[in-house]
Amino acid sequence: MADEPVVETAGDGGGAPPTNRMVVAVLGLVGLFVALFLWAHNAGLTGPIQCGIGDCATVQSSEYARIGPIPVSAIGVVGYAALIALALVGLQPAHRASRLVGTMLLAGSGLGVAFSAWLTYLEAFVIHAWCQYCVISAIMITLIFLASLPELGRVRGGDR
Amino acid sequence: MSRGEDRRQARAADGDMKKFYYIFAAVAVVGIGVVGFRVSSSMFGSAVSAPIELDLENDAELVALAQGVAKGDDAAPVTIVEFGDYQCPGCGSFALSVKPQIDGSLVASGQVKFVFYDFPLISIHPNAFLAARAARCAEDEGKFWEYHEVLFRNQNRWSTASMPASAFEDYASEVGVDAGDFASCLNSDAYADVVTANLELGTRMGVNGTPTIFINANGQTRRLNNYDFQSLNEAVQMMLAPGDR
Repeated sequence: MADEPVVETAGDGGGAPPTNRMVVAVLGLVGLFVALFLWAHNAGLTGPIQCGIGDCATVQSSEYARIGPIPVSAIGVVGYAALIALALVGLQPAHRASRLVGTMLLAGSGLGVAFSAWLTYLEAFVIHAWCQYCVISAIMITLIFLASLPELGRVRGGDR
Repeated sequence: MSRGEDRRQARAADGDMKKFYYIFAAVAVVGIGVVGFRVSSSMFGSAVSAPIELDLENDAELVALAQGVAKGDDAAPVTIVEFGDYQCPGCGSFALSVKPQIDGSLVASGQVKFVFYDFPLISIHPNAFLAARAARCAEDEGKFWEYHEVLFRNQNRWSTASMPASAFEDYASEVGVDAGDFASCLNSDAYADVVTANLELGTRMGVNGTPTIFINANGQTRRLNNYDFQSLNEAVQMMLAPGDR
């Protein structure tokens, strides 16, 4: 009697789901809501931002809260949404070993960290005020970048 | 690798993904809840942003209810009265370029008292009434003029907002007004009667656009057509009694 054919499983499709991408997705979701809240505030849809530490009012009403007509928080919303989407795609069996997803996660989170570092510099040395939500976002994107670092292994050793 | 081991690994992977989806969903629910609560509680606030019906018996009651905000010596021989709208670009230009000159020379010298009355043109400036009330709320802590200037300086930002209250609350913090007291004042009907009365008073005085400037001195009132500092200063000097010049 011939052996039954081996069923293609999630494991065969790309191994176990990469934990680091799960972490990126969850942290990205937290960052997305922080950015959404700031965007809603910027559009006048929320009440005042009450900061326990720092001065969100000064930061949010400064000229640096926008790049041209685009609120910085809107850029955050789009960026976090893109990182979440990438992480979720990268968790699907067919893409768990994907070099493209790994490369994009590294590049996206790296860009996010650079952008966030610039905004933090503005808060510290130009605006001279801190917004706690911006600080939370900066921490989130830094953690996402750190969680993306294992992608280096996939990018170097992956087959797709 | 045996088939059994494959199945075990697949089950473990499915279990990991399930746990992940539960955590992801929980974070999503909490996030939607927090952001949704902040947005909905602001959108359904009770801030009065349009003129209200005034129950007044006669003109004397209107005059008593209408209140300008004054700057300068009460005994100054000349009073400059502005009827202004916070959403009006012309008023912004007047507030940011002409008024500082009035303050620096005519008010500082004691020749002029400057009085601002609200005249929100709500048919074309939907946020102007709320802005006028916001400035009055700032006056509760003696910060009217600081707030007045911040409103005009940021006019482009809040004028186009569909819900400008949060911007007004930010500006209150910026000028040092207590955030909680200001929010309570703004999210109520406080000063809606005063701003409405100012609007009504202006209408009865023939104001039909903003800024409208009147100069009062020696029992005479003159309405100005040009709002540059030179014209205004000339008019003031003409109306001053020789001894006050």
